[in-house]
Amino acid sequence: MNVTLAVKQYVTRMIEDSGPGMKVLLMDKDTTSIVSMVYTQSEILQKEVYLLERIDSQNRDNMKHLKAICYLRPTKENVESLIQELRRPKYSVYFIYFSNVISKSEIKALAEADEQEVVAEIQEFYGDFIAVNPHLFSLNLQGVARGRSWDPTMLARSTQGLTSVLLALKKCPVIRYQLSSDMAKRLAESVKLIITKEYELFDFRKTEVPPLLLILDRSDDAITPLLNQWTYQAMVHELLGLNNNRIDLSRVPGISKDLREVVLSADNDDFYANNLYLNFGEIGTNIKNLMEDFQKKKPKGQQRLESISDMKAFVDSYPQFKKMSGAVSKHVTVVGELSRLVAERQLMEVSEVEQELACQNDHSSAQQKVRRLLRLPGVCELDAVRLVMLYALRYERHSNSALPAMMEELAKRGVSEKYRKMVHSVVEYGGKRVRGSDLVTATDAVAITKQFLKGLKGVENVYTQHQPLLQDTLDQLVKGKLRDAQFPYLGASSLRDRYTPGGPHLGASSLRDRYTPGGPHLGASSLRDRYTPGGPHLGASSLRDRPQDVLVFVVGGATYEEALCVYNLNRSVPGVRIVLGGTTVHSTKSFLEEVTMTTGNISDRAGAGRNLSRR
Amino acid sequence: MASSYPPPFEGTGEVKEGFICPLCHKDLQSFYQLQDHYEEEHSGDDRHVRGQLKSLVQKAKKAKDKLLKRDGDDRADTGSYESFYYGGVDPYMWEPQELGATRNHQDYFKKHRAARIDHYVIEVNKLLIRLEKLTSFDRTNSDVAKIRAIEKSVVPWVSDSDVPFCPDCGNKFNIRNRRHHCRLCGSIMCRKCMDFVPLPLAYKLTSGTRESLCIPGSPGQSQAPPSGAGASGMGSRRGSLSSLSSVTSMLEEKDDEKIRCCHHCMDTLLKRQQKLEERDHMPDIVKLYERLRMCMDKVDEKAPEYIKVAESLNAGETTYNLDSAGGLRLEVQKYYELIDALSKRILTLGMKDDPAPTPKSLHLQKMIRYTATLFVQEKLLGLMSLPTKDKYEALKEKRKQEQEKKLQQERLAAQESMRKRQESEKNRSVATTNGEVPPAPKPPRMTKAGGWLPSADSKKTHSELKDPLLQQIDNIQSFLRQAREAQRTDEVAMLEENLRQLQDEYDQQQTSLAIALSQKLAQEENLQQGEIQRLEARERSEWEQRAPAADSRQPSSIWECSLDLGEPVAGYVEEDKIGEVTPKFERSPLSLRAFPALAGQEESPPRLRSLGGHVTPPSSEGPNSSSLNPFEEDSTPTEEDPSNPFFEDIQEEHKEVSNGKKEYNPFDDEEDNGGQEEPAATSLGNPFEEESSETSNPFTEASGDSPGVSTNPFEGDEDAGALADIDMIEEELLLQQIDNIRAYIFDAKINGRLDEVELLSANLRELQHTLQEQKKTH
Repeated sequence: MNVTLAVKQYVTRMIEDSGPGMKVLLMDKDTTSIVSMVYTQSEILQKEVYLLERIDSQNRDNMKHLKAICYLRPTKENVESLIQELRRPKYSVYFIYFSNVISKSEIKALAEADEQEVVAEIQEFYGDFIAVNPHLFSLNLQGVARGRSWDPTMLARSTQGLTSVLLALKKCPVIRYQLSSDMAKRLAESVKLIITKEYELFDFRKTEVPPLLLILDRSDDAITPLLNQWTYQAMVHELLGLNNNRIDLSRVPGISKDLREVVLSADNDDFYANNLYLNFGEIGTNIKNLMEDFQKKKPKGQQRLESISDMKAFVDSYPQFKKMSGAVSKHVTVVGELSRLVAERQLMEVSEVEQELACQNDHSSAQQKVRRLLRLPGVCELDAVRLVMLYALRYERHSNSALPAMMEELAKRGVSEKYRKMVHSVVEYGGKRVRGSDLVTATDAVAITKQFLKGLKGVENVYTQHQPLLQDTLDQLVKGKLRDAQFPYLGASSLRDRYTPGGPHLGASSLRDRYTPGGPHLGASSLRDRYTPGGPHLGASSLRDRPQDVLVFVVGGATYEEALCVYNLNRSVPGVRIVLGGTTVHSTKSFLEEVTMTTGNISDRAGAGRNLSRR
Repeated sequence: MASSYPPPFEGTGEVKEGFICPLCHKDLQSFYQLQDHYEEEHSGDDRHVRGQLKSLVQKAKKAKDKLLKRDGDDRADTGSYESFYYGGVDPYMWEPQELGATRNHQDYFKKHRAARIDHYVIEVNKLLIRLEKLTSFDRTNSDVAKIRAIEKSVVPWVSDSDVPFCPDCGNKFNIRNRRHHCRLCGSIMCRKCMDFVPLPLAYKLTSGTRESLCIPGSPGQSQAPPSGAGASGMGSRRGSLSSLSSVTSMLEEKDDEKIRCCHHCMDTLLKRQQKLEERDHMPDIVKLYERLRMCMDKVDEKAPEYIKVAESLNAGETTYNLDSAGGLRLEVQKYYELIDALSKRILTLGMKDDPAPTPKSLHLQKMIRYTATLFVQEKLLGLMSLPTKDKYEALKEKRKQEQEKKLQQERLAAQESMRKRQESEKNRSVATTNGEVPPAPKPPRMTKAGGWLPSADSKKTHSELKDPLLQQIDNIQSFLRQAREAQRTDEVAMLEENLRQLQDEYDQQQTSLAIALSQKLAQEENLQQGEIQRLEARERSEWEQRAPAADSRQPSSIWECSLDLGEPVAGYVEEDKIGEVTPKFERSPLSLRAFPALAGQEESPPRLRSLGGHVTPPSSEGPNSSSLNPFEEDSTPTEEDPSNPFFEDIQEEHKEVSNGKKEYNPFDDEEDNGGQEEPAATSLGNPFEEESSETSNPFTEASGDSPGVSTNPFEGDEDAGALADIDMIEEELLLQQIDNIRAYIFDAKINGRLDEVELLSANLRELQHTLQEQKKTH
């Protein structure tokens, strides 16, 4: 279930298959990021891969003494480029690996282009996703939705990505999806279609409890991506932007040249691996320890290196020293920059209010605090808007809503129109009307008691009291308590699909439908969506055994906070392995872009979008 | 020397050596003290024993896991993540997984390619044949009409009226845009879409086919012409193309030095030409790179070997020779220098050439250099330094002293408690214990004293070397005995269950090893018997006088002993005696021992083996020990004390045990033998001998130290060939040696000591060689 390892094993196998000799790795834009997430340059150099090239780059020279390993997504353009390449081969021999299923006709086209007989291997290796952590993968897709439905190309790409994860992990899952989201359902069906079509590929050893693929929708929890984060990985992503494990530090004042872009990879950076999920305070202590260690190891000035044995000792420890010094300067810079931003943007205060908004239920105090922060000059534009968004989501239907007043405050602060518009977009994207489960207010007795108990216990850390909705969902899932009404099984849905409104089930289904939000959707769609047939589920009860291997996929992007929560669940629940994936991994900024792209289209073609979602 | 070896799988925890009480971990000086201690302190601890057992079984299980050692488990060890587990597993430590799903399209691909290739090959050949026909006559001196006629005869031309537009660019043909025929396929195209095959190229392309047609099956000739000629051909073609196409644009009827053809034919021909050129061409960078990789492989092979040697030397051990280690270091360093030099050559390759290398190949060179630098940095700087000569002497001295001190202490303590024990033993009823203990089939013999620990012989041999599992089996057996004595049937049952578990595990682990062990033992016995025969031949008269007397008296005392300390001691005695009588023979088994000892320190395989030999087939030892009785006799008469033969025996043998041990100490023996063997062996395993001989001279120098063929321990034997029928025995010995070494190799392979395997097989080869030589002379 380790996605990083899965991709790494694929790449290693490719390289090893080609035997000894100088090699060049030919990739496309996507596979370049895929490979770069699991292999560092020095690692891949040790495997005799000396050149990394893009298949579409024009200025590649003839180098007949190199072997070419091609790792490509099976897109039309790539196949075309490859055909051209084979017609006039630049390298001596080609080992071709596609990252996903490729059609027979394309193979035929390639075979006919290979007149020089340079192709030695042609295989499918299903590493068609970005492995961020062992339990987290992304597809790096931004703006997957047009209104409430899929952008067709994005759906195709997501399906490919998701099926490749399943193949790489050798899982043939049962699929559950979030009923309130049409996109989740479409994706589930699309994945199922592929599994049925390529049943030979998915013929893995059966486990007693089948693995589970759970497809969720980001719009169900719009709060999590809006919060400021305090664990290392999440914080770096939120404040500096983590793109394929790389951070761009060029905007940092006074940055040295070789630290403009740094790589944070848990695979070969012990400090990062150990501190990935620790919070900012703990990192501060650890970085201090790291510095002290380093100082101890550091040769103290030139005069100390007088005797031969000193020199020897220094040389002996030199590689380690050098490695350590690289790690130290990197992390000191990153943490330094983080704390500078925290101070500059008054993130401690902002975050406290954010967390209160997200977790507590005290409207008057919350709105007072938000308004106070809005007046503070140090709070930056993004944080101000973020607070208002959280407030808007949290107290969407509150009778005393202070939202108009807040919007005015924003205008007064000079927050750009674009951002102010986004407040409404976010509500449209993840407001109550859209949500399938209840994000903010507990409705059933258990949840209310839980919240009450939480209130009694007090909060351990004000900045990290928020638990993403995913935590709850997965908790119920591993306990076998996740409700079919909200997250139905795909296989069991055949009856529902055939269901016609007005049939004999009408009464029962509407009774069961406790969460139907009011509004124009109420009619036919809610009846269709909320209906759960009683019959087939009894037969499918074995499916409901507690799943052991779970793949969660969030349409519209996951977050690092959720990754942390999945990480902790993995560590705390014996026998359960959960992998989280998303169309992307969001920071607040990227999330707002996603929201704009999604809702922008809603207003553009409101009618069409609605119609589509009803289908 | 430590006797009780703590299980090695307790990881980083403190490792205790010596006589450790298994219950309170108190370190006691000797076995007897430990026994006393146990009887005093823990006799009431029976309940505790049960818990102890559980942990023992667990340990055994852990050991088993460790032994099986699945790949990929290492990863879990490397991570140093905080451990606040609640029972789940950190995703970083998820168990290793197999490679994900894959699908191979090779067959389908090849099927379609084959069809295509056939088509392609036919096309190329067709073109080449036509080209040959077109170039086979004297073009320059023939007139246009004649040329045209010949050209038309080669391939039928498409009639002009059929083609109103250029098939390539689609332009209409008219007076200005005239039709042109491809001479190779007969198709029509306009001037712009037309190409020319210059004659030199045509000759070159057809030369291959012509030659191969003339002399079929002579690949050397039909190979592509030298690349230089090819390049010039290319150049001239280019020149003629550009210049001629402009000239002929006006008047294009006569093609003196070129053949008109279409793009498609030209493409095919050019590809063909490229292929011909590349077939044999191996750029410099490839040659250099191959050498570079070879050096890297060498370093990967030699560096760990060196590090092992250096570690051992730095600890003051005498397993390895300082000089040869220095040589090894020099060798490894030479490889590093070579890597550095080669990668520098690669980096600057082609820098001064006229057409400067393309940026990509420069990049490639840079990356290779970078990789080499990384490699050297990583590996070279990890090489530890060797101690200087003086320092090494000091280290050696220190270690020796330490060991001697320890030995002394042990001996004193042992003797003292021995006396104590003798006293206490007299009070015990010997008969009951003797009767109670059935001769255990597999594990080491129990002492008649009914102790809970392995007996005295194991102190000398196995407990210090043996598998932790064996120790536990021992322990449990003694617990079992205790429990029986105490009449606790429930506990006995449990203990037996545990014992079975342990033994099963041990069996599993041991089965493969056991084959080699028993083989080896048998061979050793053969060897010994062979020696005995020789000795008999020499000293027959003495033996004959004494033997009858000895045999008659022996059984009573010897059988007593063999229950107690008998056999191993006898083994030692025998070796000891052999050593005394014929020192030259001692060398062969001992020097043999030196090979595996190269790798090990305390737990050198031969000792382990001898232990295992004693342990696994005890039945085979019975006759052996009785046949050895004469040796026993040899010593007993000297200090005969009929009043108390039992006491004397024990004391005597005890002394001998320590003697034998001293004799056996690898740190003494190997100083001579190891010193001789090792450098020679190294030079054997070194294929670079010729190259490196002139610079770092450790090999010649070292082999100069050892006499003659240096490695061959039988050299010495030949000197001793004063005896008449020595040749026969020599040969037999050689055969045995070879067998022995084979067993060693087998064993080393099982233990995964590949370097040892190499050394041993080198030696084996040499032995076989000697054998053959001997057979010849015979």
